[in-house]
Amino acid sequence: MSGSVVPVLGRFSVEKQESLLKLSILSISVVLAFSTRLFSVLRFESVIHEFDPYFNYRTTRFLAENGFYSFHNWFDDRAWYPLGRIIGGTIYPGLMVTASTIYHFLNSLNITLDVREVCVFLAPLFSSLTAIMTYLLTSELHSVGAGLCAAGMIAIVPGYISRSVAGSYDNEGIAIFCMLFTYYLWIKSVKTGNIYWAALCSVAYFYMVSSWGGYVFLINIIPLHVLVLMICGRFSHKTYIAYSTVYTLGTLLSMQISFVGFQPVQTSEHMLALGVFGLCQILAFVEYLRANMTQENFNVLFKSLIIIISGIIGVGLGVLTLSGKVAPWTGRFYSLLDPSYAKNNIPIIASVSEHQPTSWSSFYFDLQILTFLFPAGLYYCFSKLTDHNIFIILYGVFAVYFAGVMVRLMLVLAPVMCILSGIAVSSSLSTYMKYLDSSNQQTKSTSKVGKIKQDSSSNTQKEGIAYIFVGMITFFLISYTFHCTWVTSEAYSSPSIVLSARSHDGSRIIFDDFREAYWWLRMNTPEDAKVMSWWDYGYQITAMANRTIIVDNNTWNNTHISRVGQAMASTEDKAYEIMRELDVNYVLVIFGGLTGYSSDDINKFLWMVRIGGSTPEGAHIKEWDYYTPSGEFRVDSEGSQTLLNCMMYKMCYYRFGQVYTEGGKPPGYDRVRNAEIGVKDFELDVLEEAYTSEHWIVRIYKVKDLPNRGSR
Amino acid sequence: SDLTKLILLDSLLQEKKKMRLVSLLCILVVGISQCLAEKRILALLENLAVKETHSIFFSMLNRHGFSVTYKVADDSTLQIKKYGEFVYDHIVVFAPTVEEFGGSLNADMITEFIDNGGNILITGNSNTGEVLREIASECGFEVDEEGTNVIDHLNFDAKDTGHHTLVVADPKDFIKSELITGGVKSPLLYRGTGILADPGNPLVLEVLTGSSTSYSANPEQPIKEYPHAVGKNTVLIAGLQARNNARVIFSGSLEFFSDEFFNAEVAKGNGKAVAAGNAEFAEALTLWCFKERGVLRVDSINHHLVGETSPPDFYTIRENVEFEINVVEKKDGSWVPFKGQDVQVEFVRIDPFVRATMKNVNGRVSAQFKIPDVYGVYQFKVNYLRLGLTRIQTSTQVSVRPLRHDQYERFISSAYPYYASAFSMMGGVFLFAIVFLYYKEDEGKKKAE
Repeated sequence: MSGSVVPVLGRFSVEKQESLLKLSILSISVVLAFSTRLFSVLRFESVIHEFDPYFNYRTTRFLAENGFYSFHNWFDDRAWYPLGRIIGGTIYPGLMVTASTIYHFLNSLNITLDVREVCVFLAPLFSSLTAIMTYLLTSELHSVGAGLCAAGMIAIVPGYISRSVAGSYDNEGIAIFCMLFTYYLWIKSVKTGNIYWAALCSVAYFYMVSSWGGYVFLINIIPLHVLVLMICGRFSHKTYIAYSTVYTLGTLLSMQISFVGFQPVQTSEHMLALGVFGLCQILAFVEYLRANMTQENFNVLFKSLIIIISGIIGVGLGVLTLSGKVAPWTGRFYSLLDPSYAKNNIPIIASVSEHQPTSWSSFYFDLQILTFLFPAGLYYCFSKLTDHNIFIILYGVFAVYFAGVMVRLMLVLAPVMCILSGIAVSSSLSTYMKYLDSSNQQTKSTSKVGKIKQDSSSNTQKEGIAYIFVGMITFFLISYTFHCTWVTSEAYSSPSIVLSARSHDGSRIIFDDFREAYWWLRMNTPEDAKVMSWWDYGYQITAMANRTIIVDNNTWNNTHISRVGQAMASTEDKAYEIMRELDVNYVLVIFGGLTGYSSDDINKFLWMVRIGGSTPEGAHIKEWDYYTPSGEFRVDSEGSQTLLNCMMYKMCYYRFGQVYTEGGKPPGYDRVRNAEIGVKDFELDVLEEAYTSEHWIVRIYKVKDLPNRGSR
Repeated sequence: SDLTKLILLDSLLQEKKKMRLVSLLCILVVGISQCLAEKRILALLENLAVKETHSIFFSMLNRHGFSVTYKVADDSTLQIKKYGEFVYDHIVVFAPTVEEFGGSLNADMITEFIDNGGNILITGNSNTGEVLREIASECGFEVDEEGTNVIDHLNFDAKDTGHHTLVVADPKDFIKSELITGGVKSPLLYRGTGILADPGNPLVLEVLTGSSTSYSANPEQPIKEYPHAVGKNTVLIAGLQARNNARVIFSGSLEFFSDEFFNAEVAKGNGKAVAAGNAEFAEALTLWCFKERGVLRVDSINHHLVGETSPPDFYTIRENVEFEINVVEKKDGSWVPFKGQDVQVEFVRIDPFVRATMKNVNGRVSAQFKIPDVYGVYQFKVNYLRLGLTRIQTSTQVSVRPLRHDQYERFISSAYPYYASAFSMMGGVFLFAIVFLYYKEDEGKKKAE
């Protein structure tokens, strides 16, 4: 037995050894999950990353300071000027409530951490919890060995790390934990048919709903599981009890989140759950009738019932849809089913890079070896089909599809990849380890999965193959570890608020322009100044500069964003009208031409044009006008005149014509577009330059008043 | 460390008291000097003789309490700004032909003076100098070419020497504002150049225009080209009230303000001679230009819920709100309550949601209205533009919130059937559960089945 390998362990019984091994593997995974996410903190500092996390941080601070009720009723007059935004009713509060609970708990223990620190380290903490939850779920689905394997994998899988590094304080950070927690309890309740587990499951579902909009995936995958069980003839009382409880309680609870409101009974995303619930009742009723009636009577009743009920449902749904009670499919969901939908219809959805379809390479980049182990895991699930295996198969297949449609749903795929790969690795290893174990008692068990059964076949050939196989798997797992660490450190650990680049001699240059400029705004502008920028920077400006902004990352009002897009895409005169209408005092643009920072406003500009032109007011803005006759987007002297005269161009390139950026190139050479700009000497009529950050990444302009002595 | 903190605080408080005393003194001193300050005039003259030929005008200024400093326009010590502050409040330029001011004064300085709230009265003549032309074009009007005069072959004075350049301006060509014209009813004498107003500038006021038969041309030369200014477009006296309420008057004629014209009699053609209204008109115009009349001041802006007195942190939709401003008007050197009944307030969120005419009770102008059922950030805007008065432009930002979660109705009467059904259902299930759990079926009956 494996126990005899290590003399110290020999003193314990087999069960004790096993649990010790389990515990140590699990705790190593947990620690690993936490520590691998700290690259960004060690390399930069403990800051909040990117865009959305800044909003979450700001709201969390508000919640921690003002309490839940003022948070719930919070009307934010600093965003979406002059419309304002009801924050309490338009967010999933789970994240903020979790963070501020932890904050208050720690403070009550006299551990005086700042809210920011709690926020920064919340995602790594929950990743550790996710590792444990994956272990529980996988052990419930398959075996303890597979569970440990999956826990180890999910601790470092890049697809999940990408959204949960320290500082990436976003809904997804806790939502994956909630999702797996709900799945675990769901599997529990299906297995036991116990109302207790089902009720717990709906509470976990409530937590999930409160924390992420992705709960829609969950409320579709569970009914789908039930539906497939029905079709396969596996529908039982246990399933009935589990689903009925989860659906009714879960729906009622989810409606308590004010952002969700009546959606669970109105929108079509939730209709599958409702339909399956109805089907459950009918099926149970039919079973009951069949048990208590003669066959002929039952047949007559059955047919008439089917006709009547389907008729009622059909008519009811039709009426509700026509009357607008059942909301039509929302755009984001359409784009899930048809990847080209958003691109053709809703520019604001298509403009977000994380809503783009996933490329093949990013599957490998984010999952590496898991991509290949996934089908093997599916195979093992199919080979021993159970009620709960069906669930994980469904989850896997659908997650693969959705991850293919939208990059950010890679996050939903990563856990199931780990679970199925864990099953695959564990199953295959335990198949081959048998041969090694029986022939050679001294073999060191290379794998973490040490569940080896004694078998009495001793064939040298088999042994050889087993050696090769185990070695191969070991190699793969080791390379997986290296890959994951490399990806985490290189790709996913930059805060994007502080940029870094390598200079000629290989040393690192830090661009801290964003914080510099936001701080300037905070210290040098009037408190009620209104800042216009493209919506990407809205959350950061409100959180860091504490100034009123016109649009932000919560893209709820397309018309308003379109108005800003129109201002950016128009000539100065037209833009001035829009800016006065919106009481804009300052305009902020991001410009990368000097440093070579490629995700700047000129590169995003075509989206501004598209979004600006997508409403009736902006009908005069046509994308084609901004291209050269040959259909290129150029900023040099051959670019279209409309582009060279629009506000965005002028704001980005004001005074840039005198600057030398690269040796051997003329002044005004844009290092992102690799072109010498087309218009160099021009003055601004309605704006004046207020601030330009050190590396010119952020440029701030002040909007001039109407001239004192007459019109312009 | 707490002790030192306390001591520090204490000394800070004392410091504060001292500061308050000092600042009080400062306010007093500044207040006194301000009283005098608003009446400092710099008069720039062509030569010192002008002071004599225009003595009635200058004595009128003195009579109204202005302190006038006389300087020749090309005096090399000319200076209107000291230590970053303007040392005069108003400027009179009676130097039509000056090409360049002396000292540090130039057209840019004058425009800066206007943009800082200074008022200026400028006169030209048929040979208006370069610097005045520059100032004029900065203010939205243009002086006609050198040598040109306003000519009117139908409306000229009997004393005219034959070129018909001594024009008689009729009261019907005055700007329609008694605040500017002083309600003068008699005709005016005018001899000088014509002015063209920039039609694209909405702030320019045509204070006095020529009659429909007037035009502007050089009387000595035959007219080969179509004159620049013809008929009513020939502006004799142009004005501008800038956005900061600074006032500019540009008269094409220096003689208009002269003692000779002030005392003259006007006789059009063979008509009866009447006294010229120049003196009266010039006085009214000057007082208007130097902000002695037609000046409104908003003393306070207040908004609150109806029945309360102080503004809340925010409003809630559908609340009744009252907005009030206190407006005073400058009349004869003192501030009296404004009497206008046509001030309107708008409640704006991009578009005005409410527009109400405000009631004026002795200078306290107020309106009550209901906040619309739309949340957002609103502004109370008063935009009062009347000819001859300084503009009132105020905007006060407030946020209007939606209802709190506990401000909604607790029970809706139309939902009582649903409450009833919910509770009856709960009761029913409870009873059913009891029956289901504790009812024992009769053994015999079960067997029979």
